Amino acid sequence: MSRPRLKLGGHLWRGIGAIGLFAVIIAATLNAEFPAPADPAFPEGESITAGIGNALFNFGGPAWYGEGMLAAFEIIDLVLVAALVVAVMLARRETGGSLTDALRTDGGEEE
Amino acid sequence: MIPVEYYVVLSAAVFCIGLFGVLTRRNALMFLMSVELMLNAANINLVAFANYHGNLTGQTFALFTMALAAAEVAVGIGIILVLYRNFDGIDVTEATTMRW
Repeated sequence: MSRPRLKLGGHLWRGIGAIGLFAVIIAATLNAEFPAPADPAFPEGESITAGIGNALFNFGGPAWYGEGMLAAFEIIDLVLVAALVVAVMLARRETGGSLTDALRTDGGEEE
Repeated sequence: MIPVEYYVVLSAAVFCIGLFGVLTRRNALMFLMSVELMLNAANINLVAFANYHGNLTGQTFALFTMALAAAEVAVGIGIILVLYRNFDGIDVTEATTMRW
């Protein structure tokens, strides 16, 4: 039976940096003074999900909804489309000028 | 209410696990997973401080970070496919130059 095992060796030494960074962040966080939080954080009986929806599409609302993010929403929309196009562009393989079988709608049955 | 320091410590732990993976792993898929861990550590911070300040901006922004992570994975998997085709493996230390 095979199962994943932690491979010990010299390559783990590079991870010391990550552990050191963790120690630094812990020390900085525990020594920092945080002012008293807003309590309760959000108004009682109000829907947080509705607030997120309103903030996402600039519908306005009370101050605790935060700022509108319609511009960021549109930019992320473009980024996702670009990522989809790039992923397909990278994944397709042209053999002799034609697409690979995996990307053909007929599964490569007809040649 | 849970103190915000705890969230910061949790987020630092998740981020450092991701950083550990990036520094020690050679498998490109593990690399991608480690980068996801680092992005999600940022998400924990965003949501924790949104709660702390009583403002929804952080939670809304965390949604955008998730979408960005999805885009990153889509491109990352494409790059790993190309890596596998050209180097017959997904060891990131094999591909040290920008050519094959």
